Amino acid sequence: MPEEEKDQQLDAKELDRRSFFVKLGLGSLSIATAGTAVFAYQFLSPNVLYEPSPIINAGKPESYPLNSVTLDVNSGIYIIHAKEGFFSLSAVCTHLGCLTAWKPELGIIACPCHGSKFNQDGQKIEGPAPRPLPWYRVWLSDDGELMVDRSTTVRSLQFLRV
Amino acid sequence: MSDSKDFITGVNSNAKKEPRRVVFVTRRTSPQVRVTDEEVVQTFPEVFFRTAIAVEVLAIVLVGIALLLNAPLEGIADPSHTPNPAKAPWYFLGLQEMLHYFPPVVAGVLVPTLVVIALVVIPYFNINVEAEGLFLKDRARRLPIFYAGAIGLSIFLINFDVYVALVPTLIVVALMLVAAQSTTSSPSRFRRYLAARPLSFWIMSWFLFELVVLTTVGTLFRGPGWSWVWPWRS
Amino acid sequence: MATSANYFDQLRKTRVWRSIFRSGTGTSTLRRSLVIQQDVFLHLFPTKVRRRMLEFSVTWYLGSLTFGMFVILVITGILLMLYYHPSVPQAYADTKDLQFVVSSGLFLRNLHRWSAHAMVFLVFAHMFKVFYRGAYRPPREFNWVIGVILLLTTLLLSYTGYLLPWDQLAFWAITVGSNIASAVPVFGNKIHFLLLGGNLVNANALLRFYVLHCVILPLTAILFIAIHFWRIRKDGGLYVHASDSGSAKAAKEAQ
Repeated sequence: MPEEEKDQQLDAKELDRRSFFVKLGLGSLSIATAGTAVFAYQFLSPNVLYEPSPIINAGKPESYPLNSVTLDVNSGIYIIHAKEGFFSLSAVCTHLGCLTAWKPELGIIACPCHGSKFNQDGQKIEGPAPRPLPWYRVWLSDDGELMVDRSTTVRSLQFLRV
Repeated sequence: MSDSKDFITGVNSNAKKEPRRVVFVTRRTSPQVRVTDEEVVQTFPEVFFRTAIAVEVLAIVLVGIALLLNAPLEGIADPSHTPNPAKAPWYFLGLQEMLHYFPPVVAGVLVPTLVVIALVVIPYFNINVEAEGLFLKDRARRLPIFYAGAIGLSIFLINFDVYVALVPTLIVVALMLVAAQSTTSSPSRFRRYLAARPLSFWIMSWFLFELVVLTTVGTLFRGPGWSWVWPWRS
Repeated sequence: MATSANYFDQLRKTRVWRSIFRSGTGTSTLRRSLVIQQDVFLHLFPTKVRRRMLEFSVTWYLGSLTFGMFVILVITGILLMLYYHPSVPQAYADTKDLQFVVSSGLFLRNLHRWSAHAMVFLVFAHMFKVFYRGAYRPPREFNWVIGVILLLTTLLLSYTGYLLPWDQLAFWAITVGSNIASAVPVFGNKIHFLLLGGNLVNANALLRFYVLHCVILPLTAILFIAIHFWRIRKDGGLYVHASDSGSAKAAKEAQ
């Protein structure tokens, strides 16, 4: 009787031919599917983008007077010459992506879409915007021109002294 | 079933005195029920997996070809510069070869339209449905028509110097002559086979032969200016 | 105990699975019939077919292979459409991009082109095979006509697709082809004008050929393919002459 049980246990571990082929088939099908998924993902993600470069050349620092806030609508950034130095804010409202505007008479940056307001340092004063306006990395090029990198944000209150 | 008549009378009757319903069975004009109890199998899995495997095999072959051979791509389209020769894709090269001999209205419009019409009407002609050997019936009438047609077509092709189409035509005509001289009890199997071929077979085979020859010529034997080239020399 | 099979079986017993698939697969004829009958696409086919139709020598499976090619072309075509702008001269740049920049782009373009050639070849081969085995005879005449329509649709699909790369090969092949269209008596020039959306092969022509190739002609093809399959079923299944089928021969010899 113990021998019969042993035989049954052995049979349970052995694979019969049908199960083997089912496993083989399903296994290779899964590998093919996984491979296809990887290649499909790579195909669908473009390798080359025909979009404008995130690096902006903002020109000579001298063209920005002290305490000025200049909006470049084409690249969606503010160039601000504060007394501590130069910095750049994103002009895109952090709520839902509308282009904000500088209101010099009020000294604030306002978004026309849902009423968000930001101060000159990008911090939110009021409105539904969840985050302050991000600060972009700025540096001086070798030709002495102001460069802004929209793909890199830096901590706020980091000024470029020229 | 070797009746020489087209029909079998059911009952002889004097229709005016004793009208009776009579059945006429014409030969091979409807699907013949030969086997009433045919074996059937389930579509799934029989048809499903056979089809899947066949398509898979072809897909693998094509994937292999796609990995090894690149689709052609020439320079950007330039309306001011026509390449020489300007060839259509291979399945239209037969047509383009014919455009060399005949004006566009004939080779480009008339012939393709006639071909399409001819294809469409094939199953609506009784002679094609019955599919009897062409020269086994009505021989006295058909042979002269055949001679007239063959000679007429050949003269037409010679007149326009369409030798590429003439050669296949002559070959098919030669085979039809052999068929005309054979019967179903001829000594060789080949001649018995030819004798049993119906008209639709000859016309379609001529068409297929012409298609292959004209496309091959257009692909391999035509160079700049549509001039004749020998492919092994260029 | 094959536990993975166990899990799969348990999955198939769940309420969610059964709400989607209703009946599962199995080996009973009922189950196998239901697979065909309860699927929206497959129930175009009958649940049972005559055994003699299945033999390779009868049809060489040419019709099914042609349809398989069509499926490959639709899938690769849709994927290629994701990187292709049908404008001049962007179309050419996009074709080059597909070959050199897009991951798997070269493979997909090649597969699309070679499957297209294969489909044209197979559709002719299918027509000749159907003809030579006499499967066009009544009551299947109209299905033959549908087949001719599908042949023309295939050739038109190939012709319209040929222009899309916008290279020299494409441009001049279509220029020659559309000039043939203008040779049609009476309406020739009008047809030429409507086909190209103008007098020249330019941006309008490319857009029209793109819409024909990607929308109008594939929908036409799918419609007529569906009718073609349906007619096979309603006309009594594939035609098999007694002398075609090898098994019928074997059965005869065995008697």
